Amino acid sequence: MPDAPRPRVPVKPGYFTIPDDPAAPPRLLGTRCEACGEHYFPRRKVCARPECLSTRTTDVELGPHGTLYSYTFVHFPLFGSMKVEHIGYGVGQVDLAEGPRVQLPLAGRQEEYRVGMPVVAELEPLREDAGRDVVIVRFRPAEGAR
Amino acid sequence: MKNVAVLGVGMSRFGMWPDRSNADMGLEAGLAALADAGLSFRDVNAAYTGHIFAPAMSGVRVMKELGCTGLPVQRIENASATGSAAFAEACWAVESGRWDVVMVLGFDKMTAMIQQSTQGTDPANLEDAILPAAFFALWATRRMHERRTKPEHLAAIAAKNWNNGRLNPMSQRQAEREVTVEKVLASKMVAWPLTAMMACPIGDGAACAIVGRKDLARRLRPGRPVVEVKASHLGSEKYERGHLFVGPVVGPARMTRDAAADVYAQAGVGPTDLDLVQVHDAFAIEELEYYELLGLCGEGEAEACIARGDFALDGRVAVSTDGGLIARGHPGGPTGLAQIWETTLQLRGEAGKRQRPNARTGLCHMMGGGSVCIVHVLQRA
Repeated sequence: MPDAPRPRVPVKPGYFTIPDDPAAPPRLLGTRCEACGEHYFPRRKVCARPECLSTRTTDVELGPHGTLYSYTFVHFPLFGSMKVEHIGYGVGQVDLAEGPRVQLPLAGRQEEYRVGMPVVAELEPLREDAGRDVVIVRFRPAEGAR
Repeated sequence: MKNVAVLGVGMSRFGMWPDRSNADMGLEAGLAALADAGLSFRDVNAAYTGHIFAPAMSGVRVMKELGCTGLPVQRIENASATGSAAFAEACWAVESGRWDVVMVLGFDKMTAMIQQSTQGTDPANLEDAILPAAFFALWATRRMHERRTKPEHLAAIAAKNWNNGRLNPMSQRQAEREVTVEKVLASKMVAWPLTAMMACPIGDGAACAIVGRKDLARRLRPGRPVVEVKASHLGSEKYERGHLFVGPVVGPARMTRDAAADVYAQAGVGPTDLDLVQVHDAFAIEELEYYELLGLCGEGEAEACIARGDFALDGRVAVSTDGGLIARGHPGGPTGLAQIWETTLQLRGEAGKRQRPNARTGLCHMMGGGSVCIVHVLQRA
């Protein structure tokens, strides 16, 4: 029998969901301003638009789909990672469909990316901690994107 | 700003100085600025100190090295723009009539700061997981997508600054021979497309500026050109769609554009009046973007201007004349004051081998993480 998947915990609480279904993509924890409709990541209490500044804000889940605004691959290890494949890692800025731009790690190799392509969020184990997988959220090319 | 002049400037050369303390470097810069101004420390009404990661009481402690005169001492901090922020407050204190003579002293040991900050870094903190180089590499990739910018353009900026640094005895980096575009491109890749030679070094150092009433400048140094501070802007981020809240080193491009519009209006000058410009070139891509945001060239024209050498010492407007952050160095607290040091010497005609002939107007631009944008315009009276 295969091992039961280890429970997953976020590297930092309050930024993304960890779905019970291991195949389901995570969503980002954000905010919607009920006065003007602007969306934010991460969560905040006050709308940041200088014309609005409303405190009528609601917690929402954003993504997992977005468009790649820019990307790079860094030739140094990802801080806190013990995994060989994280020596050198991608970083992308992604415009979520709801509006916010987010900056998060990218999966895979530089050659897989181009500005403007559709990407989707996924969870990636960073390390093991007391029998649990500590996971980060990152983006990868969406299915069929090229 | 109508009544503020730079009375004197001094520096302690930036570098990796494990055996030198903040007090030691700060004293050297402070004494140099007093001597340059023709002032005694007794004449200084107030001091603003700038340091980022030195311990909490460092400002007032380092000032004691210059004497214990009972003067008010205030620490100002605004990340990389700390020295610029302290300079801004000193200028407004003189302009408002509160003080006649104010010393601004910046110092830092970034070598110690890096050790501290990595010890204190929780890898679980999303904000700390990504290097500053990666953030500016994202600017570069976007620019390459929109404007067909090539790594060669970024390397040309870096090579220019390395070579300007060779003409500045206070520059941290002193390349033995002319730095070429090829050499910059061949240096270690940090975050594609940025190489190590396109980035500023870490270092230690101190820099000092003394500002005061304009008439004092004439009286203290008769016959020497008076360097006036004509404009001072400090702004933080203004929200617009696409604003990043997690992971940015500095805020949106419009901070620099808005700052430029403000200082040009304050000073009654335009970008074509500038003889020399210092910018926050922690990475070469930044300098490229700031050419356009400061109005030194039109939108989309930076690459052609770089190819023509428009921003070289003998170009249309000289940028990063002392080597910029890339060569002169960027210890933190003193960095913005090194820009004031360079611009003041240039406007007085005292910049030696890197002198811009007949320089009259200069601009100093810094970004501070968090973020703020600070810009000053200096002009020979």
